Amino acid sequence: MSRPLRRGKTGFVVSFLAPAVLLYAVFVVYPLLQALAISLYRWKGVSARKRFVGLENFDKLIHDEAALQTLGNAAWLLVFSLVAVFVGGLAAAHALNHKGRVARTVRGLILFPQVVSIVAVAVLWEFMLHPDPQMGLVNGALALLGVKAHAWLGETATALPSVGVAFVWHALGFYILLFLAGIKGIDGETMEAAELDGSMGLHRLRTITWPLLWSVKRIATTYLVINVMNVFALVILMTNGGNPDRHTEMPLTYLYEQAFENSQFGYATSLAVVDFALAMLLSLIVMAIYRKNPVEGRR
Amino acid sequence: MKALRTVGLLLLGALVVLPLLWVLVASLKSSREVVSSPWALPASPQWSNYAKAWSEAGIGSYFVNSVVVTVGTLAILLPVGAMAAYVLAKHPFRGSRTIFGAFLGGMMFPNLLVIVPLFVLLTQIHLIDTKLGLVAVYVAYSLSFTIFVLTGFFQTLPDELGEAAALDGATDAGTFWRVMLPLARPGVLVVAIFNAIGLWNEYNLAKVLIQTEPNTTLPLGLERLTMTQHYQSDWGALFAALVLVMAPMLALYWPFREKIAETMVAGAIK
Amino acid sequence: MKRRLSPTLLVALAAVGCGGPKEGTALRSGGEAGAVAKGPAKGTLEVAAFQGGYGIDFYEKAANDYEEANPGVKIDVAGNPRIWEQLRPRLNGGTPPDLMFPGWGMDHWALAEEDQLEPLDAALDGPPDNGAGKDGTGKWRDTFEPALLKLGQLNGKQYVLPYYFNVMGWWYDPGVFKKHGWTPPATYDDLLALGPKIKAAGMAPLTYQGQYPYYMIEGMLMPWAFSVGGQKAVDDAQSLVPGAWKSPAMLKAASMIVELKTKGFFQDGATGLSHTQAQQAFLDGKAAMIPCGTWLYSEMKKTMPAGANLEFALPPVVKGGAGDASAILIGIEPWMVPSAAKNKTGAIALFRYMTSLPVAKRFVEEKGTLTAIKGSDEGKLLPVLAKPSAAFKASKAVWADQFRNWYPGLEKEVENALTAMLNGELTPEAFCDRVEAAAEKTRKDDAITKHKV
Repeated sequence: MSRPLRRGKTGFVVSFLAPAVLLYAVFVVYPLLQALAISLYRWKGVSARKRFVGLENFDKLIHDEAALQTLGNAAWLLVFSLVAVFVGGLAAAHALNHKGRVARTVRGLILFPQVVSIVAVAVLWEFMLHPDPQMGLVNGALALLGVKAHAWLGETATALPSVGVAFVWHALGFYILLFLAGIKGIDGETMEAAELDGSMGLHRLRTITWPLLWSVKRIATTYLVINVMNVFALVILMTNGGNPDRHTEMPLTYLYEQAFENSQFGYATSLAVVDFALAMLLSLIVMAIYRKNPVEGRR
Repeated sequence: MKALRTVGLLLLGALVVLPLLWVLVASLKSSREVVSSPWALPASPQWSNYAKAWSEAGIGSYFVNSVVVTVGTLAILLPVGAMAAYVLAKHPFRGSRTIFGAFLGGMMFPNLLVIVPLFVLLTQIHLIDTKLGLVAVYVAYSLSFTIFVLTGFFQTLPDELGEAAALDGATDAGTFWRVMLPLARPGVLVVAIFNAIGLWNEYNLAKVLIQTEPNTTLPLGLERLTMTQHYQSDWGALFAALVLVMAPMLALYWPFREKIAETMVAGAIK
Repeated sequence: MKRRLSPTLLVALAAVGCGGPKEGTALRSGGEAGAVAKGPAKGTLEVAAFQGGYGIDFYEKAANDYEEANPGVKIDVAGNPRIWEQLRPRLNGGTPPDLMFPGWGMDHWALAEEDQLEPLDAALDGPPDNGAGKDGTGKWRDTFEPALLKLGQLNGKQYVLPYYFNVMGWWYDPGVFKKHGWTPPATYDDLLALGPKIKAAGMAPLTYQGQYPYYMIEGMLMPWAFSVGGQKAVDDAQSLVPGAWKSPAMLKAASMIVELKTKGFFQDGATGLSHTQAQQAFLDGKAAMIPCGTWLYSEMKKTMPAGANLEFALPPVVKGGAGDASAILIGIEPWMVPSAAKNKTGAIALFRYMTSLPVAKRFVEEKGTLTAIKGSDEGKLLPVLAKPSAAFKASKAVWADQFRNWYPGLEKEVENALTAMLNGELTPEAFCDRVEAAAEKTRKDDAITKHKV
């Protein structure tokens, strides 16, 4: 509700808003606009010399196989984590929707991976996946079962899935809580009615719970898209930035490489602009998919 | 059915906690023990690993830097964010929705996308590789979430309180500082802790904006440790460093876990 | 921390610099040519150095010694393992240190291209240091190994000077070889014959630093391309001559690597090993040979098992190949003076001192690596350095892996393709096609400055 401003109130409003708006404008908005500008230049980033080249960087980008590969990897990771989060997260949320000490304690524990630094997660998992069964927990466990050790992060087939596992381990807790809140939000009466109807377990899950979690699913998907596009530290630390052979390369790690290793500030920024546009596009797609709530109006 | 549920829950809990426990145990092993078996318990706990991590490996100074940066950021972020949120919640005006939307938009894009211009900007204003520069950037990038949560929070406070205070002769600012803010304390506290955890763990921006040792924060320092050759072989100290990075946040999180979970989820469900 | 030179000092500097014949080089700051070429350091001087396996203690001591010999100058030496990260914003912002050794992460050719580095030709034509901080006789230029000096030039101008340099080759444990009666393979055929014997003894013939494919590029791919196709084959490849990356020589080199892999010469799982892990495996006796540079000893000496020993050998050559059998692959560690530095004269004077024969000799003795100064290896050499030094001196073809610094994007592609080939995903032909395509892309990209060997 917008009320007309009282006299003298302007000073108050401005003084209260100014610091935040100023900081935000300088460090968030301005760089964003600058990014659009820099992407039109050729710039090595070691001096102030730039050269305006129009859309050259974008043309280069379209033909850049590595850039496309990063998008492919991100897409793969998105699908992988969507499945893991929706299946595992929902099951876990169901199990946690329960009074009792075990449930309460586990509910507290599941955010642990989120709370420790992503750097810690990356170092921890890199070590757990160590190729030597005498050092790595995973290979050590497999050795007990008589399975041969693998270089999980070194082999091209298993590198990205391994990063995916660490990613899901780190992120899952939040999504479990999200689903839990969603499940709790499902009208108690609806649940009772369903039980009386005799619908049980899996059937209830499919016909009642799943559709009613619509809004939570939308949020989870949107967040997952952002989280996947944000992957940087995990790859830099676990696979030394995209190895092997760019199978774990992500949009952000490629951007970083172009800017700070190849001295191509302009090109790196054009990558950033395109990644940003794609992330926005994906969010819009998600919104479109979840546009109509199938249970709205049925209350 | 119930037994299955309990077993499932215990498995979930183990999945989460086991890696962390493993690190803790490994941090007390000698380097030789670390490379001989992942399952063995240390013959005798090597507390010296922690001392080594703290002083020789530099974790001590990284720790201090992280404290300075986190506290410094919060000290600016909370008042600035609360003030802005209050105005947007209680004193909306034409255009305030746009401003609110602009702040919200900041949560949508990966902040690494603007590293190049950000790097250039900080270099130009001579704040590159300084704790002050990092704090300024952190405040700016934490405003979105903070304002979002606090605006929602302030909106739940009844308008009558503000009107009563005005009748009593309080100024708008006075109302905020003396009436509204104290009432918002629980919300501010949760937002503070939430931000603290994120700031303590922040890596992406620090990696680009900080270059020298004296300004390095913990996550960056931990990365340096893993890359520095010496510590690639001193596993015990490396794990001790990991524990030193993780423990404070786990300790901070645990007492507030339910509140944090609530906020996280409430923040997501608009 | 930069302190401004007082006007008096400036006048003094000018006075010192104006004496003597000026070189005719046209520089941006006119008249500076003479000032930069001669004269001791005065005022304050800031040095930034990469802190790697050799540390920075040597540079700190050299700075101290120079200060004692030349009172009136104060030198500050700083270093860290990732110092290029800190130098980039300073170069961008116009406040660089005076003398810098930025390390492998700095794209110093980009700096040269953008006139961020001071050309040092004038200084090189001046006198060297006599080892006590004063002028010596002759030309500074002549105290350097010419092949190494050349690597620091762009368009005929000297932007970067070598200090210490690394020699690339294969390493083995002479004790182990003697025990089994093996000799290090001089030719590829020798290697093929030796392999099964090593395997019979329970060791892998070779291991490599899988996570960092450049070791293999410098230890096998390029040397073998050289051996088969001669200097021209690698020069063309590095100069991005069309088709050079799928020349018969390059193809043969790639095939040789695949042959070794198929014959089981490589340690299992080597592709996933980091450099220290692979090197440790070699030292622990799990593999008989490993490609590496002369920094190997310094890097691994703390964890070398008792009784282990290191010996250097050139990579085996291909019999009948066009390349000189004594060819040796080296890499210089470059020092440079930013053009925006406040005390260029001082920086050059200090570096002149560091490259004087006594000081260079001391570096070789203390650090166990070779320097680019002629005669610096005639002091007391660490045993591990004896063979590399001899091989360098006897070599009729000294060359360097320059494209690695010129075109980091291409280097990355070659590394990735090599990993894929080692993982069995690419045939040698496919490898060459992929790398040639990357070279073509680099050639066509106008944003990347081109170099010639």
